[in-house]
Amino acid sequence: MELVGDEKRIRALFSELKFADELAAPGFTAVWQKAQSRQLQPRRAFNFSFAVAIALLICALATLALWVRYSQPATRPNVFVNVPAGSDFPKTGIRHDLTSKPGMTLTPAPVIRTALKSRAARLAAQRRALIAANRKAEKEAKELASWQSPTATLLNSPSDNLFKSLPQLNENANELKSFLPNRANDKEK
Amino acid sequence: MTRSASVKIDRMEIAALKAELERLHCASFGWALSCCRRDRTEAEEVLQTVYLKILEGKACFRGEASLKTWLFAVIRKTAATEYRRRFVRSLRLTSDPETNPARAAINESQAASVERSEIQERFQSAMKNLPRRQREALHLVFYEDLSLREAADVMGVSIGSARQHYERGKKRLRQSLATMELSYGISWRREENPGAI
Repeated sequence: MELVGDEKRIRALFSELKFADELAAPGFTAVWQKAQSRQLQPRRAFNFSFAVAIALLICALATLALWVRYSQPATRPNVFVNVPAGSDFPKTGIRHDLTSKPGMTLTPAPVIRTALKSRAARLAAQRRALIAANRKAEKEAKELASWQSPTATLLNSPSDNLFKSLPQLNENANELKSFLPNRANDKEK
Repeated sequence: MTRSASVKIDRMEIAALKAELERLHCASFGWALSCCRRDRTEAEEVLQTVYLKILEGKACFRGEASLKTWLFAVIRKTAATEYRRRFVRSLRLTSDPETNPARAAINESQAASVERSEIQERFQSAMKNLPRRQREALHLVFYEDLSLREAADVMGVSIGSARQHYERGKKRLRQSLATMELSYGISWRREENPGAI
């Protein structure tokens, strides 16, 4: 019973409010005409929100492009080409070092056909350059090893064999005398 | 059908619609006020925008519901959009509508003229403290004399949900009015204080 009474009172309060609102309501014609005048007004060509949205989009795209450009070497696996001197390159092969630093985690790069193609071409070019450099170094080393001074022939003499040979320690005196000059041998005679 | 013929029909439809809108104007304004938290200037702007939408054909009545229900749903959506737009504008710090002194003065004078009685003031305060859905349900049922089904259509919820909002809102409003009665030592009951309302 009390609830029904309360509902009636709430309704009375609402009807009071409605009455007050009706008194304060603007005329329909005025509101309608304002709406019509707004309809006839030319629309703004420049929309601030749209411009801001476009600017944000451009910034995001530029950031993405920069990120892709500069983050590519970090994600690419490290490849070392080890070519020892004096050996053919194809025999030694290529050493792939994927865990060069401790604690470094390597994430698999996305498989993009074009990127792989360009990477393979770059690696082949590097390989060719290393082979050429290796062959050149080998040739130079051989040339250095076989080099002789132009005055080396002046150091040669007929007694080179005497100087280079050593006497035998267990020979007798007569045999040793043979090494003495001829004049001394003549005196004894 | 030629273009001139369709324009003629459109004009006829708008003329008929205008007559209906004029008939519902006071109720529409009351609903717009409720959707705009009793801000008269904002409510008038919302109503203007609604009429503009109708004129431009952005809001098109297809006869799926009653005209009143459709119009109230349009007002509700427009008020929500305007509120969001105003919020973004206030973030941009161009001109805060709440701190505009001229507008505040208008609202003050209008509020003073309307909210004459203390009881009415307390009642509106209690309504403002209600959750939006509950406030809408109570307003549509008590103020606009809509059925719960129509209120549900306007609010865009199921009838069961609308009934729940209505019941909870009514209970909460009763409680807050009773609390006020105790706190301020006044009676909001008409028969005990007939001069107040």
